[in-house]
Amino acid sequence: MSVKTIMPRSAEAQMGARALIAVAVSILSGVFARMLGFHAAQQILAASIFALIISATVFFWNFRLAIAFIGIAILLGARVLSLEEMVRFAELDIILFLVGMMTMVGVLKDLGLFTWVIQIVINMRRMNGWTFTIVLGLISALMACVMDEVTSILFVLALVFQVCDTLKLNPMPFVMIAVISTNIGSSGTMLGNPVGILIGTKAGFGFADFLIWATPVMLVSLLVAMAVVLIFYKKEIRLLSERLEARRQMQLGLGPLVRVPFRRGLVILITAITFIGLHHRIELALGVAKNTMLIVAPLAIAGVLMIYRHKRARHYIESEVEWWTLLFFMMLFSVAGALENTGVTAGIAERFSRFFGHNVTVLTPLILVMTALGSAFVDNIVFVAAFIPIVKSLGETPLWWALLFGACFGGNITAIGSTANIVALGMMEKRYRTQGTFAAWLKFGVLIGVVTCGVAWLAILLLTPFMPPVGR
Amino acid sequence: MKKLPAPNVDFSSFFTPKDVLCRTALTLREEVIRELLTMLALNHGIGNVDEAFQTVMEREDAESTAIADGVAIPHARLSDLHKLVVAIATSVHGVRFTGGRPANLIILILAPKDSPALYLQALSSLARICSDKNMPETVKKLETAEDVWKFFARGGIILPPYVCAGDIMARNPVAIKDTDTLKRAIDLLVRHKLIDLPVVDKDGDLVGSVSAIELLRVCLPDYILWMDDLSPIINFEPFASVLRNESNTWLAEIMSREYVAVREDEPAIQVAKEITKTHLRQAYVTRDKKLVGVITLPQFVNKVLRE
Repeated sequence: MSVKTIMPRSAEAQMGARALIAVAVSILSGVFARMLGFHAAQQILAASIFALIISATVFFWNFRLAIAFIGIAILLGARVLSLEEMVRFAELDIILFLVGMMTMVGVLKDLGLFTWVIQIVINMRRMNGWTFTIVLGLISALMACVMDEVTSILFVLALVFQVCDTLKLNPMPFVMIAVISTNIGSSGTMLGNPVGILIGTKAGFGFADFLIWATPVMLVSLLVAMAVVLIFYKKEIRLLSERLEARRQMQLGLGPLVRVPFRRGLVILITAITFIGLHHRIELALGVAKNTMLIVAPLAIAGVLMIYRHKRARHYIESEVEWWTLLFFMMLFSVAGALENTGVTAGIAERFSRFFGHNVTVLTPLILVMTALGSAFVDNIVFVAAFIPIVKSLGETPLWWALLFGACFGGNITAIGSTANIVALGMMEKRYRTQGTFAAWLKFGVLIGVVTCGVAWLAILLLTPFMPPVGR
Repeated sequence: MKKLPAPNVDFSSFFTPKDVLCRTALTLREEVIRELLTMLALNHGIGNVDEAFQTVMEREDAESTAIADGVAIPHARLSDLHKLVVAIATSVHGVRFTGGRPANLIILILAPKDSPALYLQALSSLARICSDKNMPETVKKLETAEDVWKFFARGGIILPPYVCAGDIMARNPVAIKDTDTLKRAIDLLVRHKLIDLPVVDKDGDLVGSVSAIELLRVCLPDYILWMDDLSPIINFEPFASVLRNESNTWLAEIMSREYVAVREDEPAIQVAKEITKTHLRQAYVTRDKKLVGVITLPQFVNKVLRE
C-alpha cells in the first residue's frame, strides 16, 4: 500500500517560505499602493491587509479565516475601520441569504431529493458515455444554478464516483467535467454563486435580471464548453461507453436503487425558487426596498422548513450551514469595505478610467480578462469584492456582467480557481489517495477558460445595446 | 525497560544441563510442568512456584501449546521474573497434552511480563527445529541432560533480533481468487465468521481484499446515506439488487485495494503500526508477493500482549 510520507522538516520549511511570501506580498502591496499615489497610512494599511487575506487564500487555505480575523483586528486597531463600519460592510444580508439557502439544501438532502436525482441518472436506459457526459454537465450546471457551488459539487461528485468506481474508470476527467459545468452553471442565476448575489445586491440586479442577462449567456457557454469536453475527452468517454455496455450485458446496474419519496422535496424546491423568483413583484406589492424579499425569502423558507422538521432544525443550522466560509466572507467584505472607505478603490477606479477611458467596448473584455485571471488564482469572491467599487464607480451595466462571468468562468482555469475545484480535488484525494496535479488541470482549464470567456465577451458585446443602465 | 537480548543470542544460553529433566517417567502434563517449575525455582528463583504453575496451566487450558507433533512449549509471563528462563523435559513414552500425539519434548519457557518480544523471539528461534518431523524421535533417544543441552547448543538455534510478522501470523489463511464471484465471497465470510477476505490472483499473489464493510458500502452508497428518512431502505431494499446479482458480480468489482500487507520478514511491530495508521482490522503477510498468512487484530493483541 502506498503511504504518503511527510517529511516534517521540509514541510516546516515550506510553511515558513509561504508565510514569508504572504507577508512579503502584503508589504509589497503597501509599497505599491504608496507608489500608486496613496499616501494616507490608512489606505496603505487597508491595501496591505487585503493583500494579506488574498495570499492567505492562496497559501494558507486552512488558515484563511484565522488570518482574516487578525486582519480585521488590525484594521480596527489602526482606526482604518470603526466597529460600525465593519458591521455595515460585512454584508449581513448576503450572509443571511446564504444561511437560508444552505439550510434549505440541508432539508432537501434529508428528504432524498438529491438521492432521487442521482438515481435518475444511474437508472437511465440506453445511457452511454456521451449521454452520461452531457447529462453530467447539465445536472452540474442546473444544480449549481439553484444552490451554492460547493454543495452542488458534493452531490454531483457522488454520482461521478459511483459510476466511475462501478465501471473501474479513472474519475478525473469526469470530475473535471462536473467542476467545469458547476463553475459555468453557477453564473446562471443569483443563487448559484456567492459572487452572483454579491454582484446582484451591489448592482441592484434582481432574480429576473439574472434570468434575462446571465442565464442565456451561461447556457450558450455551457453548450460550447460541453462540445470542447466531448472532443477533448473522447477517449475516456468511449471507454465509459464500452464498460457500461459490458456491464449491461451482464444485466448489472450502476448501483442500488431505492424508491425515494422525492415529491415533498421537489415541491419545496419549486416553491422556494418560485418565491425567490417572484421577489421583485412581492417587493413592489409590499412597497419594500429592492431585493429585500430576495434576501428574506430563503430565510422565511428555512424558517418554515425548520418548523416542519423541528427535530433536525439544530442539525441544519449547525452542520449544513458552512459557518467557516460565511465568517470568512464577512471578514473579507469588511476588509474590502475598508478599501472602499479609505478611497483606495475609488482611486484605482479613477486611474483605471484615466488609463483605459470610458469606452465600454474596451472595458468589457478588460474587466472580463482581469477578473478571469484574478479568479484563476485567487478565490473569486475576494477578487469580486475588490473589483465591485471600481465597477460601481465606472457605472456601466455590461461591466457588472463581465465581472460575473470573469469571476465564474475564470475559476475553471486552475485547480485552485474556485471553491468547487478545491473541494472536488480534496474529495478525490481523500477517496483515491491521489493528487490531481496543478499542471494537468491547467492544460484543460486554460482551454475551457479561454473558450467560455470568449463566448461571454461576444454575448455581452451583442447584448450591450439592449442593457438598461444600472441604478434605475 | 528490560534489555533486549543482543543479536545472535543462542537459545541454549537460556538454560544449562541442570535445567533439563531427561527421560522423565512422569506422564501427566501437570506433573511434568510442576517438576520443571520446581527445578527452575531452585536454579534461578522464579518466585512462587504455585502461582507460576497456575499461570502456566491457565495458558495451557486456554489453548494447547502442543505446537508440533511430539513437541509442547508451555509458557507463561511472570511479573517476578527479570530474565527469560527455560527448562526442558524429554520423555520416551510421551506426555499427553491436549491435541496432537504425546509430547516427547517439553520446553517450558518463562518470560518477564513486561518484555512481550522475548518469548516470541525464543519461540521463533525454535520454529526451524520444530518443523523437523524426526526431531522428537531424536531428542527422546538422548540419554543425559548434558546431551540434550548439547543438542540445542549444536543446533545453532539463534534468537532473531526481533519478532517478525511471520512469527505471529496465522498460516494458511482463507483466501479467495479474484476470478470468484461475490456469492462465494459472502459464503466464505459467513462460513468462517470473517470480516475480511484476502483476494489472490491465479499465481497466489495478494491483489486486494473484500471486506464486510465494503460490502455494506456497495449496498449503501453515499447518495442513499444522504437521506435522513429510513423508510425507503427499512427492509434492506438496496441489498436486494446486490443479492440478485451476486452470482454474476465478479469480485474485481467490489474488491478493495486498500489493505495492509507486510512481508513475512518485516518486524512484527510494523503490523501494529500499519493497523493503527489505517484503522483496518488485520494485516496480510506475504512472501514474494504471495499471501502466506494473516494477522488479525485480536490475534495480534493476544500474541504480543498476553500469550
